Amino acid sequence: MTKMNHKAATDREAGRVTVDDRGMEIDKMVREAHSGIAFAMKTLRRPAARVGVVASPVGRLLVAESDRGLAAIHFMAVSDSERMLTALRQRFDLIENEPATEKISRALGRYFAGDYTVLEHPVDMSLVESDFKRRAYARLRTVPIGSVITYQGLAAAVGAPDGQRAIGNTMATNPVPIFVPCHRVIRSDGSIGNYGGGVERKLLLLRTEGFVVGRDLRVPEGAVLGHRRTHIFCRENCSAAQRADHSNLLIFADSEHARRAGLRPCRLCAPA
Amino acid sequence: MPPAKFTFSLPPPFEEAVRSLEHEIMRFLLRTTGDREDSLDLFQETWLRAYRAYPTLKSEDGLRPWIFRIASNLCRNRSRDRTRRARVIANDGRDVALDEERAAAATRSSPDGALHLKDMVARLPGKQGRALMMRKFGGLEYHEIAAALDCSAESARASVYQALKKLKAAAR
Repeated sequence: MTKMNHKAATDREAGRVTVDDRGMEIDKMVREAHSGIAFAMKTLRRPAARVGVVASPVGRLLVAESDRGLAAIHFMAVSDSERMLTALRQRFDLIENEPATEKISRALGRYFAGDYTVLEHPVDMSLVESDFKRRAYARLRTVPIGSVITYQGLAAAVGAPDGQRAIGNTMATNPVPIFVPCHRVIRSDGSIGNYGGGVERKLLLLRTEGFVVGRDLRVPEGAVLGHRRTHIFCRENCSAAQRADHSNLLIFADSEHARRAGLRPCRLCAPA
Repeated sequence: MPPAKFTFSLPPPFEEAVRSLEHEIMRFLLRTTGDREDSLDLFQETWLRAYRAYPTLKSEDGLRPWIFRIASNLCRNRSRDRTRRARVIANDGRDVALDEERAAAATRSSPDGALHLKDMVARLPGKQGRALMMRKFGGLEYHEIAAALDCSAESARASVYQALKKLKAAAR
């Protein structure tokens, strides 16, 4: 190592304030430059998000929360967290924060114990790029506990009646599963379909919410169709339900769940 | 449910990661541009660009050569812009070649050795000049220079060698 090289390395290690050979004080210059940087950073700085890992009945979850709400939940057992972390780092300045993680952990604990009010927790959609996806997630959050919606129904609800495949992609890239309940979206043929966290987790989440799915992974026999606008629920084969607009139809596990959601039974088919 | 322990490590916040490199970068910029105001400008630009691109940095180990590369590219861009501007002025009727010759003659006869050396370094081809700056004034290792200049470590070593050879020849 040359003399100059050695000096630079020593200065670096010692964190020493060094003076340029023309007498310009490097330290002073750095401080001076920082006043300009501080001004620019007022507009450039990414918002902060607190991240951590929580254990839950659906496995270990990587969670991130910003000041605006929950920004990400990632099933660590399903795929590598690095990709999610990279996506998060591009939007947020990440901070490891245990108290914030504990708060989310407690909320999840309450959800799995049957307190669904925790799902009203605000969600930060910063990781969502498209407006279509944002609309789909917002609409999905209005699907009540104990009910599901079809891909086709959700597509129609966001104004794209033929967009069921796009809805499929949207659900697969949901950054905040559980809180944005993509597990409540099923196929039109009555089978529960796939899930980003694996079908097992989808089943577990649906069961937690009282939507019991049989071994054939299909909607149960006693399921009823509920209409959001008319607040009426019908049997699956009711002529009124057949004529109804798909975008407003929900599938409830049973009449009890439909009643709990504020719907009344149809007078034509008179579901139990 | 108690929170589980982290199973991965987050890179340090940007400010913390670059703090130890700030003096080196400033020294490098000062040596390269030779101008205080330019160095301050380029330092701010380097810092802000690096902050924006920090999430795309794959490994923390590569931070030093990466940030030097940003600084070096900014220096190159600025010098290129200046050359373009000078050309426009030349087209306006000034005899730049004659001015350069006068300036060269002035520095050759300058009693100030440091100024003479600075001028000789400035006349080195781009890559050789930057490699020499990083090696001799930034204290970077060859593999770090290689990463900053996007070339092999051998090529970085050769660039520094060629630059020194030219300086020695010019000093004779």
